[in-house]
Amino acid sequence: MNGLGFLLRELPWFWRGALVTVEVLGGVMGLGVLLGLTGAVLQVYGPPPLPALVTGLERLLRGIPPIVLLLLVFYLPWDLPPLVVAIVALGLCSAAYQSQIFRAAIQSVDRRQAEAARALGMSAPQAIVYVILPQALRRAIGPWSNEFSSQIKDTSLAYIVGVVEILRQARYVISYTYGNSLLIYGFCALIYFVLTRAGNAVLYRLEARLWVPGFERRLLGRRA
Amino acid sequence: MKRAILLLGVVCLLAPGVLQGAEKDVYIVGVDAAFPPFTWVEQGEFRGFDVAVIQAIAELAGFSVEFRDLPWATIITALAQGKIDLIASGLTVTCERDRVIDFSLPYWEVDQAVLVREDSVLNAITAFNGTVVGAQAGATGYQWIEDNLVAQGVNIELRAYETYDMAIRDLENGRIAAVLCDTDTAQGFVDAGRRVKIVGIVKTGEQYAYAVTAGDPYGLLPRINAGLRRLYQSGVWAELVAEYFPGRPVGPVPLKRTAICE
Repeated sequence: MNGLGFLLRELPWFWRGALVTVEVLGGVMGLGVLLGLTGAVLQVYGPPPLPALVTGLERLLRGIPPIVLLLLVFYLPWDLPPLVVAIVALGLCSAAYQSQIFRAAIQSVDRRQAEAARALGMSAPQAIVYVILPQALRRAIGPWSNEFSSQIKDTSLAYIVGVVEILRQARYVISYTYGNSLLIYGFCALIYFVLTRAGNAVLYRLEARLWVPGFERRLLGRRA
Repeated sequence: MKRAILLLGVVCLLAPGVLQGAEKDVYIVGVDAAFPPFTWVEQGEFRGFDVAVIQAIAELAGFSVEFRDLPWATIITALAQGKIDLIASGLTVTCERDRVIDFSLPYWEVDQAVLVREDSVLNAITAFNGTVVGAQAGATGYQWIEDNLVAQGVNIELRAYETYDMAIRDLENGRIAAVLCDTDTAQGFVDAGRRVKIVGIVKTGEQYAYAVTAGDPYGLLPRINAGLRRLYQSGVWAELVAEYFPGRPVGPVPLKRTAICE
C-alpha cells in the first residue's frame, strides 16, 4: 500500500482526531470566555484589591508558555483525564489573553454612556449588563476571532498529555508506515486550515450582523 | 467530622499494607504508540509486540488492562507518579530509570544499527569519522555516540532529531552521513523501502523490560515475570516473535538482567 492508501484507510481516525481537536477548542474557548470576561469586568469595575489581583494573575498566565502550563496541570497530584488537563491548561492561558480583548472592548465604550445610565437610575451592575457589555461584546468579536484562530492551532500541543488529536493521529500513521511525513503533515495542514477558515467565516458573519451602528466596519462583500 | 478524621488516620496507618495487596479492576498500560514493531496504533487500535505480550500475560494472570498512549516526553514521569500502572513500550533498562521506576525481568535484547544511504560507500567505521551523524534526542543511539565518540574527541558532528523518521529523511537527502538506531527500528525502515541500508551493528546489548511504579504497589512484577516464563514454555512467545519479527531467532525468556545498579 502506498502513502495515499494508508491515508485513505485512516481517514475515519483523522476525522475522529479532528473532532477531538474541536472538543478541546470548544472547551478552551468556553472556559476562556467565562474566565476572561469575568476577569475583564473585575479589572475595570472591581473593588480595590480585585483589579490588581486579576491583573497579576493575567500577567502571570500570559508569561507562561502553553506547553509548560500543560505539563504543570498534567503533573498535578489528581487523576484528571487527558482531555480535562488540556482544556484547563489551554483554557487558563486563553482566558488571560481573552481578558485583555474584553477589557479593551469595555474601555472602548464611552464612559459617558455609563454615566448616563446611572443618571437614569440604573445600578452599576445594571449599567454594565444592559448598556456597556452589549456594545463591548459586539466590538470584541473581531479580536476574539484572532484568539480563536490562534487557539485552534495551540490545541496541537495537547498530544503531550496524551490527547489523541489531529497531530498525534498523524504521528501514528507516520511511525507505523515508516515514512510519508510530507503527505501526512500536508493533510494535517489542510485540516487545520479548513477548521480555522470555517470558524472564522462564522465569526465574520456574526461580526457583520451584530455591527454597532455608527462605527466603521470592514467590508465583507455583503451588506449587513 | 471526627469520625472522618479517625478513619483517615486508620487508612494512613494501614496504607502500605493495603496498597501492597490492592487490586485494580483495570490496569492502565502506558505505551508510546509511535514505536513499531513494539507499539503502534493502526486504524484506532493499539497494536504491536508489546501490546500482544501484555494482553497474553494479563489473560494468563487474570487481570484486565487498558492501553493509554503517552509520548516519550511524559511516559516515565507519568509512571513514577502512578498516573499509569505499567509501561510496555520497548523500554530499555537503565540505572537512571531504575531509580524512579521498577523493572520486570528483561524480555528483549537489541543492539544499535548503523544506517547509511542506499548508494553510500561508507562502512561502519568510515561513517563515524569526520562526518555528520544523527540520532533521536534522548535515545540510546544518541547517548552511545556522545559517550563513545564525541566525548573521546573523535572528529564527528552529532545532530539530535525529534524522531527517527526525521533523521532518516535527512540521511536520504544527504544532509547527514549515518544514523544510529535500535536494530529492530532500523530493519523497519529498510523493510518499508526507505532509501537506506544497514552497514554494521554496534553491540550495545540493551535490554527491554516492562516497568511499574516504584515499590510495585499492585504486585504486578511477579505476575509479569511468571507470565513471560509461561508464555515461553507454552510456545506462544515463539508465535508472537514470528508474527512481529519474521526471521528473528527465538531464545528463552525472561532474560538475565545485565544492568547492575547500586
